[in-house]
Amino acid sequence: MKQKLAKLSEQCLADSKKAVTSEQINAVKIKYLGRNGAFSDLMKYLKDVPKEEKPEMGKLINDARVEAETVIGEIERDILKKEKEARLAAEKIDVTLPGKEVKTGGLHPLTIVRNQILDTFISMGFEVVEGPEIETDEFCFQKLNIPKDHPARDMQDTFYITDNIVLRTHTSPMQARVMESKDRKPPLRLVIPGKVYRSDDDATHSPMFQQIEGLVIDKKISLCDLKGTLEEFAKSVFSKETKVRFRPSYFPFTEPSVEVDVSCSICGGKGCRICKGTGWIEILGAGIVNPQVLINCGLDPKEYTGYAFGLGIERVTMIKYGIPDMRIFFENDERFIKLYK
Amino acid sequence: MKAPISWLKDFVEINITPEQLADKLVAAGFEVEEIIRQADACKNVVTGLVKDIRRHENADKLSVCTVDVGTHTVQIVTGASNVSAGDVVPVALDGAVLPCGKSIKSGELRGVASQGMLCSGEELCLTEDDYKGASVYGILILEKGTPIGLDINSVLGNDDVILDVAVTANRPDCNSIIGIAREVAAVLGKSFKEPFTGYRANPDRISNYLSVTVHADDLCPRYLAKCVKDVKIQPSPLLIQKRLKAVGIRPINNIVDITNYVLVEIGQPMHAFDYRNLEGGKIVVRRAAQGEKFVALDKSEHSLDRTMLVIADENKPVALGGVMGGLDSGVKEDTSFIVFEAAKFARDNIRRTSRTLNLRSDSSQRFEKGIDYSSQDLGMNRALALIQQQNAGTVISGTIDSYSGTVATREIAVNTKDVNDILGIKVPYKRMTQILDGLGLTAQVKGKKLYVQVPPYREDIVNANDVAEEVIRIYGYNKIKSTLLKKAQQTKGGKPLYMRRVDKLKTVMSGMGANEIVTYSFISPKAFDKLLLSESDGRREAIKLINPLGEDVSIMRTTLAPCMLDTLVSNINKGNKEGRFFEIARVFIPKQLPLTELPVEKEYLAFGAYGKDEDFFALKGYIVNLLECMGIKNAEFSAYGESYLHPGRSAAVTVKNRYIGQIGEVHPDAAEAFGTDERLYYAEIDIGAMFDYAVEVPKFEATPKYPAMVRDLAFIVRETVTADQMVKAVIKCTDKKLLESVKVFDIYKGANIKKGYMSMALTCTFRSAERTLKDSEVNDQVSRILRSLKRKFRARLR
Repeated sequence: MKQKLAKLSEQCLADSKKAVTSEQINAVKIKYLGRNGAFSDLMKYLKDVPKEEKPEMGKLINDARVEAETVIGEIERDILKKEKEARLAAEKIDVTLPGKEVKTGGLHPLTIVRNQILDTFISMGFEVVEGPEIETDEFCFQKLNIPKDHPARDMQDTFYITDNIVLRTHTSPMQARVMESKDRKPPLRLVIPGKVYRSDDDATHSPMFQQIEGLVIDKKISLCDLKGTLEEFAKSVFSKETKVRFRPSYFPFTEPSVEVDVSCSICGGKGCRICKGTGWIEILGAGIVNPQVLINCGLDPKEYTGYAFGLGIERVTMIKYGIPDMRIFFENDERFIKLYK
Repeated sequence: MKAPISWLKDFVEINITPEQLADKLVAAGFEVEEIIRQADACKNVVTGLVKDIRRHENADKLSVCTVDVGTHTVQIVTGASNVSAGDVVPVALDGAVLPCGKSIKSGELRGVASQGMLCSGEELCLTEDDYKGASVYGILILEKGTPIGLDINSVLGNDDVILDVAVTANRPDCNSIIGIAREVAAVLGKSFKEPFTGYRANPDRISNYLSVTVHADDLCPRYLAKCVKDVKIQPSPLLIQKRLKAVGIRPINNIVDITNYVLVEIGQPMHAFDYRNLEGGKIVVRRAAQGEKFVALDKSEHSLDRTMLVIADENKPVALGGVMGGLDSGVKEDTSFIVFEAAKFARDNIRRTSRTLNLRSDSSQRFEKGIDYSSQDLGMNRALALIQQQNAGTVISGTIDSYSGTVATREIAVNTKDVNDILGIKVPYKRMTQILDGLGLTAQVKGKKLYVQVPPYREDIVNANDVAEEVIRIYGYNKIKSTLLKKAQQTKGGKPLYMRRVDKLKTVMSGMGANEIVTYSFISPKAFDKLLLSESDGRREAIKLINPLGEDVSIMRTTLAPCMLDTLVSNINKGNKEGRFFEIARVFIPKQLPLTELPVEKEYLAFGAYGKDEDFFALKGYIVNLLECMGIKNAEFSAYGESYLHPGRSAAVTVKNRYIGQIGEVHPDAAEAFGTDERLYYAEIDIGAMFDYAVEVPKFEATPKYPAMVRDLAFIVRETVTADQMVKAVIKCTDKKLLESVKVFDIYKGANIKKGYMSMALTCTFRSAERTLKDSEVNDQVSRILRSLKRKFRARLR
């Protein structure tokens, strides 16, 4: 019996060492350790062993089986490891081949910049409202202190539908609509995005473009507040270092009125092609709401003051992204829109 | 407004460079658009002495000159025959630029080197008035004794610098040299010298000659007239001609030039009538008769209406008030008696008349900007002073003035503190009054009030805001600090629900691979034909612009389709192989035409696509997903007849039987009309209507605990049976607690299927929320399906 066991162990060891593949070692495993394998077989003969030797013999067989399991296990791990290594080696690919194309779309750059600007103002407590693109002469001009045949009308080339209905030339009419509205009372802090129209068409003017109007009506609003707000806007849209400068100007609906320049973010104010060497880029018009406009809209200028500004989204986007011609925005070439996705 | 610095210097001392002056004007609110140096038009042309002249060895008609140009001597070949040794002439050296546009380089003429060119008067754009001998054929021979080596500009006095100043609409007074000069004085802290207006009048009385009646003082609030006799018509003095040319006005004769000179210098348009043409010695200012004929100075003929103002004599119009003189009544070569007019006309009426007749003049443009009451006297007196200075006539005593009001300063009082509250900084009161004084707005602080004396030419100064602006534009905008709404109340910011939903739509659309486009709101009326819309289609009722930029952008869109289809086609034409786009924009639906009230503006979503991955079902997939993202799960699609969509591949999208949009393959005829033979896909959704069904917060649904059982069933049915009919039938006949979903996953026609029939395969998913289903339960549901479909559609299992 002992001899048989020794021979079996020896044979098992030899078979195991011959195995090279996982199939072969698996076969060895079944042959010796399986339910009907050689070691189990040997156990069947234990009943022929004299009673007093049974425990010892049983232990010997079991020990031999455990040893065989260990050996086979080690060899199996070895083989599996080698096989995995071989598989990984065989699976090597050229990682410089292109990835699979994913179809993603993108927002128009004007929308991206518009959202960025709106978010900046929302964070400062501004509410966003929208108004009609087709407006009455009254709201587009008269309420804003631009009477009929006033020379200031030359500043904006208006598209007319009838004598009294126009395509709005700016988002400012919504100022008047909001101030007049019975649903809202000051304090007002609003931004009004939207399309506006002027009969102009060249590299820096489009007959349709988008503006964002800002309006704050409260008590004791000053030019310093206007500057502070616009500085936050400029820093968030351009860069943290951006500065804001006021130059005197004229708009019928604000007094004092200013043109607002931002320091050129391309050259950092040193002067370059984009800012025409001045270090500053004109970006929007603004001012303190003209008391006459407050009166026209039913507010008491003794009680309330405010500021207003209007900026062109196209212009901001052109400066921010270095886009040379406004007409590119409306060509809608997929390759252009995708640049900004 | 073009302001030559030499002219400004008549009224204010300027001793800084033009650039420095421009910067200061910009800081004070006057944008300087350009600094024009007259000398820039003529560069590198110097005076030279011809030392020697000899014949060209290879050309009979050419001569070779040796010319001393001061610093050195050059050899120049010339074709002119009027030059002799000892002459001083203008020499264009290598690299010279001439006012006529020529540029000069050294070269060779017939084998002889020529280091420049001798110039003629014509090449220097000179006339006899500019320089004696300038019109001579040949080289301009300069006066004997002209120094050698000088820049020709200094010899010709062609060295002025002109500031082109943009004047804002609130400062009409600055459309004049004296207006700009006043501002220059204020920014430089210098004093302003008033224009010289002195003249002596002859004892003869104006009443002996002229009467003026104003019948329309609303359109002509002031009419001032003076007479000048013994007029000698001659060319103006050189200085006046030079200045007029510098601002772009052609000198004509002394009288016309004086009117123009006063217009530029004082800002008051003037008119001079030949007295001989004023029948009855009368000037009548009246509205034109309807259809009254008028021939203007420029020979254009006009038919007037009752809104227009004419200056007439006893019988006929002699001028269109403030716009243009008549053809016959102007100053002629033999004019000897003139009537000067200095009037104030209503600016809006001038504007309207000028636009209606398409007749513009320097005078009408000036009146449109607005003229105050003080400038008629000033302009008239200045004109008469010039007459006397030039000895061009005798001023007759007496003035006819239709205005009886006074022209005086006006006092306004504002709260001094309000000025600083508007600015947000504290300008010392003393500095404030000093600044205002410098601007001619004499100011004084008394108690809490600031009293400001406003001269008549500053009609724009009315309230504290106006005063604040005057103060800060001189005090300096760089002194404004940045504060964040220091004294304001906090407010709640944010976007309304509608805008947040639009933002979400855009995010979802771009997530599905679509690129956002922005197109013009105006389209061509031809677009409706390209869309094959019937003549009675409501979308043809579109709003027209009176003054579009062109016919193809002349009406406001009632559908986004033409713009999207144009975009698809332009991308195809640019070689982009595939495209998927969307736009969210408004359409404009008039309540009636022509418009009497504002139209309805609705926001639509347009989706368009082409390329290998697109077909009707891809399109439908996008739209279904979009609707689901808005929480709309019950949208229905049904076959639809839209003119520009494929009759067999288009659908209306409805929710609860309400139309919210349409989708489909574009009709090949429409695609062709837009310029492509590719298959295009288009969807248009009324997003306002869609949002009526949107769900803001989706309800919680527990994810299923028990396994599903799936049965795929393929049926043979007639081709005319729709997927929707089959699916609805399945839903109807099964237990709602057990059937989770049913979908058509395959349609097959062809081999093994009888003609007129098809195989439609459904996948039915059964699941209970309470337990694992048994086979028998599902089998029972399947038999119900088989029975029901057989009964309804004669469907049999394949």
